[in-house]
Amino acid sequence: MDTLPGDDTITEPGRRNRRFRISSVEVLCAILLVAILGQGWLQQLFDVPALRTGSTVFVAVCVQALPFLVLGVLISGAIAAFVPARVLEKVLPKRAGAAVGVAGLAGVALPGCECASVPVARRLMGQGVAPAAALTFLLAAPAVNPVVLVATAVAFPGKPEMVLARFAGSLATAMVMGWLWARWGKLEWITERALRRLPEVAGGQRWRVFAETARTDLVEAGGFLVLGALISSALNVLVPAKWFGVLGDQIVLGVLVMAVLAVVLALCSEADAFVAASLTALPLLPKLVFLVVGPAVDVKLFALQAGTFGRSFAVRFAPVTLVVAVGCAVVAGLLVGVA
Amino acid sequence: MRRETQNVLLILLGGALVKIAVNGDFLRYVKPAQQPWIVAGGAVMVVLGVVAIVHDVLAARSKVTVDAVPEEHDHAHDDGHAHSARPAWLLLVPVLAVFLVAPPALGADSVIRTEARVPSSAAAASAAAFPPLPMGNVIPLPVNEFVSRAGWDTAGTLNGRTVSLTGFVVHTDGGTLLARLVISCCAADAFPVTVRLRGGEADHLASDAWIQVTGQVVPGTATKDNSYTPDFTPASVTPVPTPKDPYEY
Repeated sequence: MDTLPGDDTITEPGRRNRRFRISSVEVLCAILLVAILGQGWLQQLFDVPALRTGSTVFVAVCVQALPFLVLGVLISGAIAAFVPARVLEKVLPKRAGAAVGVAGLAGVALPGCECASVPVARRLMGQGVAPAAALTFLLAAPAVNPVVLVATAVAFPGKPEMVLARFAGSLATAMVMGWLWARWGKLEWITERALRRLPEVAGGQRWRVFAETARTDLVEAGGFLVLGALISSALNVLVPAKWFGVLGDQIVLGVLVMAVLAVVLALCSEADAFVAASLTALPLLPKLVFLVVGPAVDVKLFALQAGTFGRSFAVRFAPVTLVVAVGCAVVAGLLVGVA
Repeated sequence: MRRETQNVLLILLGGALVKIAVNGDFLRYVKPAQQPWIVAGGAVMVVLGVVAIVHDVLAARSKVTVDAVPEEHDHAHDDGHAHSARPAWLLLVPVLAVFLVAPPALGADSVIRTEARVPSSAAAASAAAFPPLPMGNVIPLPVNEFVSRAGWDTAGTLNGRTVSLTGFVVHTDGGTLLARLVISCCAADAFPVTVRLRGGEADHLASDAWIQVTGQVVPGTATKDNSYTPDFTPASVTPVPTPKDPYEY
């Protein structure tokens, strides 16, 4: 197990030798005390309209995403405790290329947002699944599951080609990324912590491993989720809404702006179809790009990936994903005929 | 960060989620259907935190009484992953936001920031989607539906009918609006639907004040150019308390 007890921060090295150390527990108490005493001041501070809107959006993103993250860490913990690595090895094809295909289709089975799939993908790697396959799962799960497809169908009534194009575009994005990784990806980009193999779990310890893995994953990923929510709520307030409106007939510009918006707005993959559909001035192709890019790469997801797999992974993976997703969306859109 | 602190943070955050889900404040942030998810998610967080604390306390106690604790072999890992726990401090931000700031539901500021739109379902629908309004003197309608009908219903089912709408006041350069925000998942994806109030009875009211108006649409005023904001001639403007569920869906 990677992060287990005793990992006291090394932020206060000078104090380590004294008899009374200021630990994070005391820091936490101090912060809480100051915050409670300063509550009136705090509320006054947030009484500016823009800050009020931003803080509401921030809490909304947290409240919306945290339950899905919890679902993800529970699945992650269950994989760690109850699915021995050799079972996964037996189920998945030996060749990475074929495993990518299986992983992409397996994404259909996990109904949840992108936040849930990050800890699961990381745990799959830890259990010895090829990183290419785990990354394919990471990209496919939030985009092609039935809940998201049904939401898309509801948001675009009378346009089943939109659902088909989204499914094809997202699945293609996930698989292309998997194959790219199998061909050019380097293991050393992923932090060693994420790849560390868990020891075989003994029978009596399963529940303890389950709880401990879920707890550790939740603490780690939760912090990064909050970071992503902070960034996306700031952008939500700062990005002028006019961007949406003026793109009516410029299809190339529309595609690019919608891709950028998908990244900065960081909407839940179950909700983005409704947002896209409500932009009545836009043609369908930019909307499709918005739907394919959003679940694959956005600021919230970038923060989660950086925290889980390491920064040097995220700065390579996210930009390539963005390019591949835009390409796959456009191709899928043209093939299915939404344009 | 120490393990104890992480556990306390988890319990606090889980508690915050459960609290807003139970007292109804969650409706300011997400749609009603999320409630069971929030309760379950928060409860799992609290349980994970409590289980870890109980386990640690028991382990520490048995360490005191028994010398060798075989189970503790994995506690020896202290090698350089302390850095990974530092972002966990960020978990404190939503806790403080929920308990101390308690941000209100989105309001006038959000309306001014975002361009009003018509729900996609309306844009895609044909006249068949707009059945005649029910009989009666005053028909209560969601603002969402009112705007959709005003902008897209070619059969004119609103014309000459008296309806009542509930929303909050927004002052813009173009006049006083009655607005409502529509969300599909959470407040991050909210977009406004707006109605322009003629006559000036609402002009003196503060922004974000909730009102109920009864009156009639001015036919043909909701166009693409004004983001489908129909004009409305109110017969009465009544202040009402802020509803528990401030959004439409």
